[in-house]
Amino acid sequence: MHILLFAQVKDAAGVAELDVRISGELTSSEVWNHIITARPELARFQKTTRLARNGEYADSQARFTDADEVALIPPVSGG
Amino acid sequence: MLEMKIEIQITPHSIEPGFGLAVEFSGVAGAVAEFSGVVRDQENGESIAAIEYEAFSPMAENEMRRILSSLAEIHPCLAAKVVHRVGIIPVGATAIQVVILARHRDPAFAMLAEFMNLLKKDVPIWKRLALPLHPSVATASPLVTSAQRQEHVPSLSEAIAEICSHVNPLDAVTTSWEQSAGRMLMETVCAPEDLPANDRSTRDGYGILLNDASTKFRVVDTLHAADWKPRELKSGEAVRVATGSTLPCENMRVIMQEDVQREGDQIKTGPLEEATNVRRRGEDISAGQPVLTAGTLLSAGELALLATVGCTRPKVSPRLRILHFTTGDEVVPPDQKPMPGQIRDSNSILIRGFLHNFPCDLWQQKLPEDFGLAKLAVGKIQARIQNADVVLVSGGASVGDKDFTRELLEVLGFQIIFRRVKLRPGAPLIFGTIGSRIAFGIPGNPLSHFVIWHGFVKIALARLTGAIPPTFSIGWLATALNNAECPRETLWPARCQISGGKLELTPLRWNSAGDLTCLATANALVRVPAGTADLPAGANIEFLSTAV
Repeated sequence: MHILLFAQVKDAAGVAELDVRISGELTSSEVWNHIITARPELARFQKTTRLARNGEYADSQARFTDADEVALIPPVSGG
Repeated sequence: MLEMKIEIQITPHSIEPGFGLAVEFSGVAGAVAEFSGVVRDQENGESIAAIEYEAFSPMAENEMRRILSSLAEIHPCLAAKVVHRVGIIPVGATAIQVVILARHRDPAFAMLAEFMNLLKKDVPIWKRLALPLHPSVATASPLVTSAQRQEHVPSLSEAIAEICSHVNPLDAVTTSWEQSAGRMLMETVCAPEDLPANDRSTRDGYGILLNDASTKFRVVDTLHAADWKPRELKSGEAVRVATGSTLPCENMRVIMQEDVQREGDQIKTGPLEEATNVRRRGEDISAGQPVLTAGTLLSAGELALLATVGCTRPKVSPRLRILHFTTGDEVVPPDQKPMPGQIRDSNSILIRGFLHNFPCDLWQQKLPEDFGLAKLAVGKIQARIQNADVVLVSGGASVGDKDFTRELLEVLGFQIIFRRVKLRPGAPLIFGTIGSRIAFGIPGNPLSHFVIWHGFVKIALARLTGAIPPTFSIGWLATALNNAECPRETLWPARCQISGGKLELTPLRWNSAGDLTCLATANALVRVPAGTADLPAGANIEFLSTAV
């Protein structure tokens, strides 16, 4: 699974992209478990950061597979 | 209800006033509501010079489109255009401009206000680092002063962040598409008309009305591929068409010639297959739809697409002017046999090789090792130096008596941002800027050149041309990496290959920063954290591809 990082999450991880190998279909919180295992420093962002799946915000029902592109979207501040 | 026209742009360039939409809807739109969000001179109580914005562009564009479409159901409007700037935006410049057109003012105002609220909630765009107004005199601010900056030796990540914050896309140029190959597109190109422009046949055969249930038809016309003969077709009528023929009216299908029997001007058909054998109008691209977005590298396929939509003079990144100085009296040209104490110049070839296929004008010159003579030499090419977007100096970056790169860059007017990095190899790296122009002083060893080029210079060149800078990827070590524990982070030359669906990295042996055989084999650099002794086979590591 390809993961894109932005803003303060990217700064904390020091990279803009991560690859995490998963199998089957995962819920959002299972995806977070994988991310935090790979990058423990990102744990503190879980509460405030939304997940996007293939360019759209993922709702609580969303299921993720290894082929998905996931983006971590911390609180936005455009405009 | 008519669908609202929506145009979205996310751009690294300044937002120009004036929109074509108002002209397009002239006479229909009774209200044009326009909002500009401008960068203020204060952020969190500090005086600032600029703010950097970052966007996840594809998703941000989709989100804005989704928000506008859903608002259009409540507030019927004719058209909406949003331009959001990203990158470093100076105080007083526009960060976002929104224009809403409607028949009456109420829905336009409502949509504008609600759109801005939803944008600040959902659209993936971020305000990043605020740049202080007076970095050199800031005392209370946590940002370092220039004196401290000289002392502070940045890590690899810090140095990359410094480069990214100082290097911004140069102004786009308009050029012929023949000259655009290999450059970055710096505008979003939309289709001016539907493609194809009319329904077209995909077979040689006979065109009939889509819902015509007849089994016998009279052939009323013959159309060749280039013919344009619009006509209303009646039930029981057919036109002879070729592959690519423009069909004479809408709602037609084409029966393959193999499936009919023809006698004179009559044809008979059996049961029809499901396929209609028609490429419908707008099937590939509909009018107004973006076909290529800003930030796309223009190669063969993209250029063909530009030609198809009639975009013959795209806005693209400029051809960079790069000036490369080599230093060192011990260096002789490659075709000369080195005397004892001398070596052949490989760095000029290395830089030329790195820039092969990169759209730029490269000027290379050797400088005398004596600082006084070197100053005279650069004095003779002042104009060339002032026109260069990028100045590279090979060698002379250390602190030996004759290592004058830093002083030379300062004489040329560059402000030195850093003069060392906590990195092996390539620690004595110098980076300086003057306005939008940048300079690198690269330590003379070839392997240092290789590391500095891929780790830093390529990122700066990408920023200058509006491309996405290269980043680290994740791979696995095929064999153990035996590092003599080093307090500096290391970019370790390696060979990358795909094995069993995994990116596997084999670390290469290298003895010194001058190791050329290792450089010739490497296609990746593995990031070894500071203080790491050994990494076992199978370890998950970050690496930078040097293959492209």
